[in-house]
Amino acid sequence: MKRIFAIMLALTLTFSMAACGGSNSSGGTSAPTTAPSESSAPAEASPSAEASPSAEAAEDIELIVFAAASMSETLEEISGLYTNLAPNVKLVFNFDSSGTLKTQIQEGADCDIFISAGQKQMNELDSAASAEVNTEGLDFVQNDTRINILENKVTLVVPEGNPKNINSFDDMAAALSGGDVLMAMGNSDVPVGQYTQKILQYYNLDEESLAGSGVLSYGSNVKEVTTQVTEASVDFGVVYCTDAFSAGLEAVDYATAEMCGQIIYPAAVLNVSNNPEAAKAFLNYLTGSEAMSIFEKVGFSPV
Amino acid sequence: MDLFPLWNSLRIAALSCIIVFFTGIFAAYYAARLPRVIKGILDVILTLPMVLPPTVCGYLLLVLFGNRRPLGIFLSQFDIKFVMTWYGGVLAASVVAFPLMYRTARGAFESFDKTLAYSAQTLGLNNTYIFWCIRVPVCRQGILAGAVLSFARALGEYGATSMLIGYTPGKTATISTTVYQLWRTNNEAEAFKWVMINMAISAVVLLTVNMLEYRGKKAVA
Repeated sequence: MKRIFAIMLALTLTFSMAACGGSNSSGGTSAPTTAPSESSAPAEASPSAEASPSAEAAEDIELIVFAAASMSETLEEISGLYTNLAPNVKLVFNFDSSGTLKTQIQEGADCDIFISAGQKQMNELDSAASAEVNTEGLDFVQNDTRINILENKVTLVVPEGNPKNINSFDDMAAALSGGDVLMAMGNSDVPVGQYTQKILQYYNLDEESLAGSGVLSYGSNVKEVTTQVTEASVDFGVVYCTDAFSAGLEAVDYATAEMCGQIIYPAAVLNVSNNPEAAKAFLNYLTGSEAMSIFEKVGFSPV
Repeated sequence: MDLFPLWNSLRIAALSCIIVFFTGIFAAYYAARLPRVIKGILDVILTLPMVLPPTVCGYLLLVLFGNRRPLGIFLSQFDIKFVMTWYGGVLAASVVAFPLMYRTARGAFESFDKTLAYSAQTLGLNNTYIFWCIRVPVCRQGILAGAVLSFARALGEYGATSMLIGYTPGKTATISTTVYQLWRTNNEAEAFKWVMINMAISAVVLLTVNMLEYRGKKAVA
């Protein structure tokens, strides 16, 4: 009995090793780094200005895109459309707060394109930015690829039923000073949290004393804040209008440029990219009319 | 430095430990007397929070007690809200620490010499007395171990707590959520201070327990 079992185990191992060794690179086990050396030759042949890399039967390329969490739904939809244009390009997304993504890039994560929800995070990676903002002297951005692609708006959202009857940012300021409410906002590493801080400063509210009195609930990215409002765990929250739309939340007020500045999303191809040509092609596609119509559906505006 | 997370973590851990101590030993005692099939199923349900990832536990608690869920709405009529409150943290920590107490206590009870209980019954002592004054003291090694594990688990609870009560400085911040948020906002110096505080507390608790155990052993010998 034991011998039969041992023989079966040996046969299983032999067959599985043969299967792994024999399959071609198109299988999922191949590392994406083997693709670039073969794809760079056909990619150079195609004009990089147009978003049409379908000209040659190029090797399968995996593009890793780090994008702000507020773009989750739109980019997933766009990736579906992009497959029709470039079937050999597989888009892999990492959605999180731009601060987290910047840290991951800095720590050496594989990434081709970075789309941030604020200039701050992109500046911190850009050697062309002044030393005041790029305090660590990082150089991850391919300078000639950086563009501003989208504009967003910061909104005040309330759960269904608006329990505390908050209808504007003025109401929000009054409620926070009053004390018996709970507001969800991003923490200071999250762009939307940084915009919220500016709004609090605009109303002359001291964030630290508000935190001390227990009226602020911090989330690690904008989606966490949105979920807290949807679940009615808090009385109101500050998120982007695109998140409010995607989550079906009521946006009761929009922040003006005076309160928190303009919200511009920069995008760039990174120096560490393994597929810079394919990355530039995708970035060009994002600025095109097809992609922009999807962005505008949820509330983004072109820059 | 705002010391609220310290006080909050300690009270959550202490309350969870007490709740779990009693519920754990009662569950362990009564589960042993059930018929086999029911015992098996109950065992799986009661041990589940230990095997599930803490975020999954937190998510299930949120689905049960969220402000827009039936149970949550029902409880909010009595002004009881587990979401975004510190006693929600007690609930989360208790749920997660319960299986530790339950399994350890059950192991201890199963190795209890039943003849002691029978002899006590022949002497006319009632069941409550037998339980508290004979069974529990004889099994105290295992029960104490379970209590220590539960306290440690409750003190270090992050996933379920973070999902259920979030991070509200001054109201629901625990040491674990504070360290995470401080790290996320690049405040590593303060995060490190909290790490040291947490290690100090854990060391003190473990040393105390070791001392009690040692004294207990010495008393027997």
